[in-house]
Amino acid sequence: MAAYIIRRLIWTVPVVLLVIFMTFMLMKQIEGNPFRKSERAVPAAVQMNLERKFSLDRPWYVQYGNYVKGVGTGDLGPSLVLRDRTVNDVVAEQFPRSIELGLLAFGWAVLLGVPAGVLAALKPNSRVDYGAMFFSNVGFALPNFLVATLLIYFVSVKWGLLPTSGWTTWQHKILPSFTLGLVPMAYFARLVRGTMLETLQQDYVRTAKAKGLRWRRIVTVHVLRNSLIPVVTAAAPLLGYIITGSFIVENIFAVPGIGRYYVTAVSARDYSVVMGLTVLLSIIVIVANLVVDILYTVLDPRTREART
Amino acid sequence: MSATQIAGRMAGVDAGAPIRQSSLWQDAWRRYLRNRGAVAAGAVFLLILLWCIVAPLVSPHDPNHVDFVNAYQGPSWSHPFGTDQFGRDLFTRAALGGRISIGIGFGATLAILGIGVVYGAVSGFVGGKLDNALMRFLDALYGLPYLPFAILALAIVGTVNFWTMVVALSIASWFITARVVRGQIITLKENDYVRAAKAVGVRWYGILGRHLLPNTLGVLVITIFLELPGVILGEAFLSFLGLGINPPDASWGSMAQDGRDAYRAHPHIIIIPSLAIASLVLCANFIADGLRDALDPRTKET
Amino acid sequence: MRLRIPVLLAAAAVVAAATVAAGCGGGGEKEKAGSGGQKAASQVLKMAWGAEPPSLDPGLATDTTSSNVLLNMMDPLVRLGPDLQPVPALAESWDVDGKVVTFHLRDDGRWTNGDPVTAHDFEYSWKRTLDPKLAADYAYQLYGIVGAEAYNNAKPAHAAALRDKVGVKALDDRTLQVTLTSAQPWFVQQAAHHSFLAVHEPTVERYGAKWTEPQNIVTNGPFKLAGWKHDASITLVKNADWRSADKVALDRVEGRIIVDGTTRVQAFEAGEVDALDGGGLPPADMPRLKELPEYEKYPALGTYYYGFNLKNIPDVDQRRAMAFAIDRQSIIDNVAQADQIPASGMVPKGMPGFETIEQHFLPPRADLDRAKEFMAKADDPKQKITLFYNDAPGHKEIAVAVQAMWKELGIDTTIKAQEFAQYLEFLGPPPNDAVYVYRLGWIADYGDPMNFLELWTSKSGNNNSRFADPAYDRLIEQARNTPNDEQRYEIYRQAEAMLTGPRGQLPIAPIYWYTYTNLERESVQDTFQINPLDQFDLSKVVIEEA
Repeated sequence: MAAYIIRRLIWTVPVVLLVIFMTFMLMKQIEGNPFRKSERAVPAAVQMNLERKFSLDRPWYVQYGNYVKGVGTGDLGPSLVLRDRTVNDVVAEQFPRSIELGLLAFGWAVLLGVPAGVLAALKPNSRVDYGAMFFSNVGFALPNFLVATLLIYFVSVKWGLLPTSGWTTWQHKILPSFTLGLVPMAYFARLVRGTMLETLQQDYVRTAKAKGLRWRRIVTVHVLRNSLIPVVTAAAPLLGYIITGSFIVENIFAVPGIGRYYVTAVSARDYSVVMGLTVLLSIIVIVANLVVDILYTVLDPRTREART
Repeated sequence: MSATQIAGRMAGVDAGAPIRQSSLWQDAWRRYLRNRGAVAAGAVFLLILLWCIVAPLVSPHDPNHVDFVNAYQGPSWSHPFGTDQFGRDLFTRAALGGRISIGIGFGATLAILGIGVVYGAVSGFVGGKLDNALMRFLDALYGLPYLPFAILALAIVGTVNFWTMVVALSIASWFITARVVRGQIITLKENDYVRAAKAVGVRWYGILGRHLLPNTLGVLVITIFLELPGVILGEAFLSFLGLGINPPDASWGSMAQDGRDAYRAHPHIIIIPSLAIASLVLCANFIADGLRDALDPRTKET
Repeated sequence: MRLRIPVLLAAAAVVAAATVAAGCGGGGEKEKAGSGGQKAASQVLKMAWGAEPPSLDPGLATDTTSSNVLLNMMDPLVRLGPDLQPVPALAESWDVDGKVVTFHLRDDGRWTNGDPVTAHDFEYSWKRTLDPKLAADYAYQLYGIVGAEAYNNAKPAHAAALRDKVGVKALDDRTLQVTLTSAQPWFVQQAAHHSFLAVHEPTVERYGAKWTEPQNIVTNGPFKLAGWKHDASITLVKNADWRSADKVALDRVEGRIIVDGTTRVQAFEAGEVDALDGGGLPPADMPRLKELPEYEKYPALGTYYYGFNLKNIPDVDQRRAMAFAIDRQSIIDNVAQADQIPASGMVPKGMPGFETIEQHFLPPRADLDRAKEFMAKADDPKQKITLFYNDAPGHKEIAVAVQAMWKELGIDTTIKAQEFAQYLEFLGPPPNDAVYVYRLGWIADYGDPMNFLELWTSKSGNNNSRFADPAYDRLIEQARNTPNDEQRYEIYRQAEAMLTGPRGQLPIAPIYWYTYTNLERESVQDTFQINPLDQFDLSKVVIEEA
């Protein structure tokens, strides 16, 4: 097992380097001048000064080398567009907000998705089940920009219950996190329903039932606990969805996170910010996968063989 | 993980759950027909396809005719979906948008399958060190969000059309498919008939082409419908972020984006394409469920 | 203009407040109620900014948001009056002697740390902006000064020597002497631009790039930066020590940064903000927004135009035909919808000298008969063309409309969008050969037609049309050295005629002259004003009782 974990750890390094390299090469393919922000042409002298300042006049492999060195020491470089700030500043100030948004979305999913799945599984093919699965399907299918637009219109503009946008008080955080949490919610509901139905068929549950244990106790102690394991392990893969969804949600709700700024940075050709955020997101996903895989191996030795 | 991949998990398809080799497609078809939800979804899906194909052909309205007098009309008999800001008939335009959205959806799905099959098949079939290396990369990248890479890809091409959208949506979305295909191939490789074929000296391409790939077909068909919703939503997301397909073409995503700014006065312009997206996604999910149950009875739920 | 009855009634009672409001400069176009409402007890303005300021360093800022935040935190030498003429601000007066401009500073300018604001601060700041090491995007705004371009262009080894040759010098604490490369009669106006603001040398030297953070920044204007949560909010508070602080009504300006247009409108309509920053309303929602009592519009100095690539559409009669087929008024009424003005030339209405310069050749409504006549005269007219625009809200709709209008001439137009940064590269100059027609706009940096007409000189980096005429270049050069306004406007008239007059080459088909549209709560509607250069002066804003 230790060998597997070590091998897995060692593999992380080339993968991260590859991701940095690919992102870097992709960035280099994009045409457009980061220093021309409007119709106004940039005089040659100004262009030259800027390229010198940001080392864009060096050969690409030097730039790449410096960049990797920077990532290694935790320095993502200066922003080409936000002239008073570095990429580290952007990450330090705006990333926690995105994380908070993601965690809250995840919270909604656990809070509403799991109970819905449990209720549905306890009475399969009942109205409760159909209702829960209907909402799960709809929640998954509706594009989040429509959900966000409708929520803002009714809850905020029409009924005046919650703010339309922003990220300051807890009231501001309800709608964006709910919108983002909808798909994980739908996912959890279905996942929990499926695994619970399966667990209910297991011999030990039947035995427990036969032994005359109280049904409520069987459900809470045995079935639910076992059914929640896949939910915990699903948390990491959901991360990717939450990142994707946050791009839209942050945009509509003016959440000052990194998802919204990413799009701005690409169109402004802020190479260093785009690089930094892409690399950061990738590393987070890679590390999350690593942790999940290791946990898996620890929890369930059978998966080890299946994976090699 | 993208929405696509979530869908994959929702339907319970993952590596190492191969569909037993079976040529009994009739059996599968019969099982599919027993699933009422899946049949209904299939019917609606076909209806949507039909509308997209036929409506523009028979419509009395020129979808590109600008007529400001009739701008922003609500739904009526002559314009069942109303008109947009140029007075263009939305029933016809939404059908045209559907062609593009669904086209991009299938295009990108097939591209994802293509890359995934090649990667997974090579990895699974060759095995050994190469498999190990390829899979370590997949393990690490599993769940990488496709959106940042799609945005980068679209920025590189600049002009967004059908094909660049397909590329952008598939460039970082094939990891799961590759893993599924590889799992299939590895399991199948151990089957007796493959060993037998090897023993009698069938070349590798013969084994791969005659025995292994055809037997992954079931999984691939399911995967098409699993990937489709995610890809269609992905296209809508990109359009919504202002990176959508360029006019004169319009997809459901770009139509919804046009509609958002005007939603207070004319909500139908955002709601119609959004609901079209939602229906398609919903149908695809049910179809994938039905297909999985039909093609792989083992995983069938109670 | 709309009557504001409650305001008028209140005005009868409150004469004192009226004098405050009457003192307001600004847009000039908007009719004052002749009075003001009653000043509200709470003078806190909540507003929405349209973007995160990329930099609050006057040397590095390039965008409208940064510019407006800066102009409210800093004291410029001059501000622009209603007719765009310079009015004294930190400089109480100035002398112009040919190429030498001398500013005389007030003695009561103070930095927020108590230091006096001196002419040396300006000398330091302008030279800093030109420093090649700072690499300021807008360094070229100062190129009109002798030696500025050479210093900005200097190799590191020569920089120090060239720095001393830049024609800006503090003769004493209160006298700033500027030597220009030519007469440039618009220079004093130009000094109202944020690139000409002063920075506080000790603060800049001490904190480097971080000097603009709220805990470090030292400013010298009516408001102080109290908070700046990046991409989220900007909080300004009244600077009680400012030289004219007694005339500033607002105590605080709580700004939220909201980029998305629809999100901004929603925040306004839900009552979360009282005013937007004029950064544009979503075009698709305009018909509804225009009906709101909070809707305001201001004339802008800007021209929205379609440029022709003369290589691909070489025949001037075809260009005339295409320009005549465009129904500008219909585009404004049905598509752009912000009460813009149909444009007949490059120099926008409202620009000083416009009455002299204006051409009457291009009609506001499509004239299809004449368009077809021109088309018939055209030699080998191009029937299949490609129109490029950048993918931002509103452009697509105009392109679709123009596509339909040109169809009347038998021209089959393919429209293609590109993402802005790439689009600008694509346009050159010289433009990519795929371009037949392109969309661009130009918003003034300063209030002189030069800012618009010099675009079309053959060496201009903004001339994407391949129009090149030595006679035109000579006219522009001549105008640069003509200090007399009337004589200069006459030269501009000739230049404009070479572009859009009856015998002009029509390298462009102007579509409309911009307006700024905004939403403002009625409590600030009288005093919140956006001038034609998209600037607003928060020191003039008074919140009135509703």
